[in-house]
Amino acid sequence: MPAILSNRKRPDTGLMVLRIFVAAFFIFLLAPILIVVLYSVSDAAYTVWPIQDLSLRWYERMIEYRPFLTSLGFSFKVAIWAAALSILIGVPAALALARSRSPLAEAVTTFLLAPLSMPMILLGVALLYYFSWMGLGVSQTGVILSHTVVSLPYIVRTVAAVYMNAGKGQEESAAILGANRVQVFVRVTLPMIRAGILAGGIFAMLISLDNLPISFFFAGPDTNTLPVVMLAYQQNQFDPAIAAISTTQMVIAIAMLLVVQRLTGLHHIIGQQR
Amino acid sequence: MTMADKITLSPAATASRRRKTTHGLLGTLPAVFFLVVFFVLPLIDNTFNSLETRAEDGGAIDNYMRLFTDSYYLEVILRTLWVSFLSTVLCIVIGYPVAYYMVRHVKGSGALLIFLLVAPLMTSIIMRTYGWQILLARNGPLSDWLMALGLIDRPLGLLRSPVSVYFGLVHILAPYMVISIASVLQTVDRRLEEASLVMGASRFETFRRITLPLSTSGIVTGSIIVFMLCNGSFLTMLLLGNGSVVTLPLLIYQQFVLVNDTGFAAAMGNVLLLLALICLYLQLRIVRGKGAA
Repeated sequence: MPAILSNRKRPDTGLMVLRIFVAAFFIFLLAPILIVVLYSVSDAAYTVWPIQDLSLRWYERMIEYRPFLTSLGFSFKVAIWAAALSILIGVPAALALARSRSPLAEAVTTFLLAPLSMPMILLGVALLYYFSWMGLGVSQTGVILSHTVVSLPYIVRTVAAVYMNAGKGQEESAAILGANRVQVFVRVTLPMIRAGILAGGIFAMLISLDNLPISFFFAGPDTNTLPVVMLAYQQNQFDPAIAAISTTQMVIAIAMLLVVQRLTGLHHIIGQQR
Repeated sequence: MTMADKITLSPAATASRRRKTTHGLLGTLPAVFFLVVFFVLPLIDNTFNSLETRAEDGGAIDNYMRLFTDSYYLEVILRTLWVSFLSTVLCIVIGYPVAYYMVRHVKGSGALLIFLLVAPLMTSIIMRTYGWQILLARNGPLSDWLMALGLIDRPLGLLRSPVSVYFGLVHILAPYMVISIASVLQTVDRRLEEASLVMGASRFETFRRITLPLSTSGIVTGSIIVFMLCNGSFLTMLLLGNGSVVTLPLLIYQQFVLVNDTGFAAAMGNVLLLLALICLYLQLRIVRGKGAA
């Protein structure tokens, strides 16, 4: 293949330009995040450039400022409940959809994934008024149920993908060898999809922890999630305490994301964006 | 089903499969029920709300009349579409080369780059906008560095301007575009590109006539995702735009926080819903088209 060979020998300016472009893209992607991490350990009382001294005073402030920690606790409560509810109703759905040959399966899948395609702000407004009408209004239950609506699709998608990849050979072998349906489910199916459930669950928690457009509408004394408190703080105060809490939240999220990557790889969750 | 499957199936297994086909979707009932109650009904409820007006003698579609006849609101709707369109184009232009590089030039699985691409998606929107506020500030690092390089001679005032909104939007949305394009580029047969080069086409021509057409579906799916997400975002406009870019979601937010005209907010929400449903429909058509091919 002469054309390709000669291309390889020449110093490749095209590839150089591409490399620089890609490097610039990743700098663009990471710069606003890294600068916040940097400011979280700065000594300045507000965000002045350049940074003079380093200190941990904003982490102290973060711990002293009660709303940050109480709302972080509540955020976790919501995330865990939403993920648990999603697993409870999402896993049976994913299993059924992955194996179903019914012509309806495609439509049901679309329906279960539909909340992902809706503007969050609309869901927030609609759910708030709906819950108020039901007498739930601004309540912890309301926040948890709202978050479940957007967590559910991630569980369905991840578990269905893992289950489909696993194939049905093992289950059929077990059935042929005499296992009954309960045994097949507990001894074969469940171990096959366990990683998918965990990964989907953690990802659903991440989505919930990060949600602001829905949580915003449910703001109240005991329904404030961390992002809601952060938004209020950012709009009213200008000190880098927000950098400290942002960095803390990011460290938690990245740790959880690494667990997901070890469990199933990220491609199951993000690769098949649809 | 392959031949091998057919042969190994025992009668019992076939029977259980038949059972599964008939009851196949029973397992989806709890989830479907949950979404009907907490997703469909709230949206229907929202539609009823949108028909209520504040005025005593108001008609049922007053809110919609106001949205589509008042030039201010019409402008906001068009601006929403324009901002989403421009962001989508920016994401394609920026995202394509990155996806191409990741698929064609990264050795191994590229796990690190994928992680770097996805990790920002996990940071809070507050953190990202705060980061841009610092970077783009009048006397912030970006102005500083550009002045040091001699590219500009006085500090840039990008913050609270549309430019900073686009920075924020592209920062959030570009990874989705890269992922969509990369996943399609992965499936393009490299031998087609090699054949084109061997037969004397230049690299640019090979790209234009082979690679690009074969990866169009990635661009299209990525564009729909980006457009859809952009249509619904308001925090970037709120925190980075400071009123310089008013779109529908931001207006809903303002109606809710400042004016408290819930009927009107609900009507605007329904316009957003309509846009989302159109995007969802297009997305499904494309996915199905792929399945048929």
